[in-house]
Amino acid sequence: MTEYTSAEEIFDVEEGSRQAGRRTLLKAGGLVAASGALGSIWACVTGAGFKSNTKKRAMWIRTVDRPTLSEKTADYKRFSGNDMFALYRPLKTQRDGAGSFEAEQASKAKRATAWIAEKKPGYSLPDIQLSEGAWTVMHSTKPGSGLLSWTRISVRTPSELGTPRHTAPPEEMANTVKAAARLYGAGLVGIAPMNEAYVNLQAPRESEKEKDKDIVFEDVDVPSVSDTRFVIPKKMKWVVAIAIPMDLELLTRVPTALGDAASALGYSHSAFVVSSLAEFIRGLGYEAIPCVNDTAQSVPFALDAGIGELGRLNKLVTPEFGPAVRLCKVFTDLPMACDKPIDFGLVEFCKQCKKCADACPSRALSFDDEPNFKTRGPWNNPGHKAWFEDSYKCLEYWQKSNSACAICLVSCPYTKGNEAWVHEGVKATASIAPAADPVFRIMDNAFGYGKQHDLEQWWTKDSQSGRRG
Amino acid sequence: MTSGAGVITITIRKRTWWFWSLAGLWLLLEVLFVQTAVASVQEGEYRAATICWIVVGLLAAFGGFAWLRRRGPRKRGHSSGQQQAVSTSEPASISTAD
Repeated sequence: MTEYTSAEEIFDVEEGSRQAGRRTLLKAGGLVAASGALGSIWACVTGAGFKSNTKKRAMWIRTVDRPTLSEKTADYKRFSGNDMFALYRPLKTQRDGAGSFEAEQASKAKRATAWIAEKKPGYSLPDIQLSEGAWTVMHSTKPGSGLLSWTRISVRTPSELGTPRHTAPPEEMANTVKAAARLYGAGLVGIAPMNEAYVNLQAPRESEKEKDKDIVFEDVDVPSVSDTRFVIPKKMKWVVAIAIPMDLELLTRVPTALGDAASALGYSHSAFVVSSLAEFIRGLGYEAIPCVNDTAQSVPFALDAGIGELGRLNKLVTPEFGPAVRLCKVFTDLPMACDKPIDFGLVEFCKQCKKCADACPSRALSFDDEPNFKTRGPWNNPGHKAWFEDSYKCLEYWQKSNSACAICLVSCPYTKGNEAWVHEGVKATASIAPAADPVFRIMDNAFGYGKQHDLEQWWTKDSQSGRRG
Repeated sequence: MTSGAGVITITIRKRTWWFWSLAGLWLLLEVLFVQTAVASVQEGEYRAATICWIVVGLLAAFGGFAWLRRRGPRKRGHSSGQQQAVSTSEPASISTAD
């Protein structure tokens, strides 16, 4: 307690109340300033306020020497290239008898026609054609030709411009390529060293009459595509791994034909980005091979390039967009500094969460507590640790729902809009304090995240679509 | 402030450091929940928005209650408030509680 008794400090009631008012005002101002400062610190630490497609990533995303879940055994080899789409028909016939696949497809087509006629929300003609329209770019190309050509399309080479090819230190080259990729539409981009083990052995046949084409590495100067094989030059030692964010407004409306447009658009964006980037690299005087899902496994390259971590749904999960991304890549001989893998606490989070496995209508995702080496079928590449999924069950549900599902993508707690600051705070806390993970799963459910949004509203509301894609 | 028989009693209760710390925390939470509520509507997450608006309302009610309660009349001799009798014709001796 302080006593003021001098004549100079005689308390005047009116003046006192004015001073008290000023003090309150100052305190309030101080509080606002402190809040602002804390908010800024919060933003810096958590990454809130940074646009996710800029170079800087949030501080809670740690770089590590090896990807989490990087354990591999001697069984790990180049994958056959026979993905689930190639395997489904023979497996269906094997499991359910001859003609079961055809019957299923006929039933699917009949259902689609009926749903169009009754204007079933999410399956009306505009819903279906929205997706078909979004596929246009991707469907107008194929590996090795069109936009995904392994050789120059139209760009003028340095020699045509009368100049030597572009040279710069590896770090500068990496930044140049990343800047170009971001301009073309990449949400996240990283550089990984080429690893031949991630490249498929074969490119799947395009029709029943054709044979699978071998994918080989040779000591040649330029990549080439022939009727029998794809040749990758051994000098291509770098891979630009790219993640294209999917449109959340559409993705939150899966599993419907309307929601499928999110995947379709993601693929078409991917084809545009990798083809543009490949042309940019060729224009600098180097070789480039653009790939979407084809030619190699995108996930391990993205893991090595620090784009994200491998989650329970056996897909890449990024800190910024969750698993709601489409992956693509460009192989090149342009020397660049490689990025490091990242760890943002995802594996620990996935061990606790299991929300994607709970949400999966076909029970295709693993409920195992720990990732392991147990594959679920020939669609899985053995020899690495993961939560392997049953792709057969997954694809069977696609046929039943007349959609490409993707419920697992939207149910993941890391799949969030980028409007609310709190999402960054939750992800940062999960990265730093895994003990809070179970609470976040409970909160995610309580707040209603991962549920399907109103289907008809997409066409009528002032849609946010396109803001993330 | 009360008056009677030529004496004015002025009660000055300074808010303690922990009160202002709690007020700062309260303000941060209010800002965070309001932002989350508004952003959730933009994200189409209406359930999250509703929950956040409810929390904002509850926090506001709690904050208002805490603020007004602190300004209300206290019993004489309470440890956190000091009262001094001040003659209107003489220099006053005023105490403040830290």
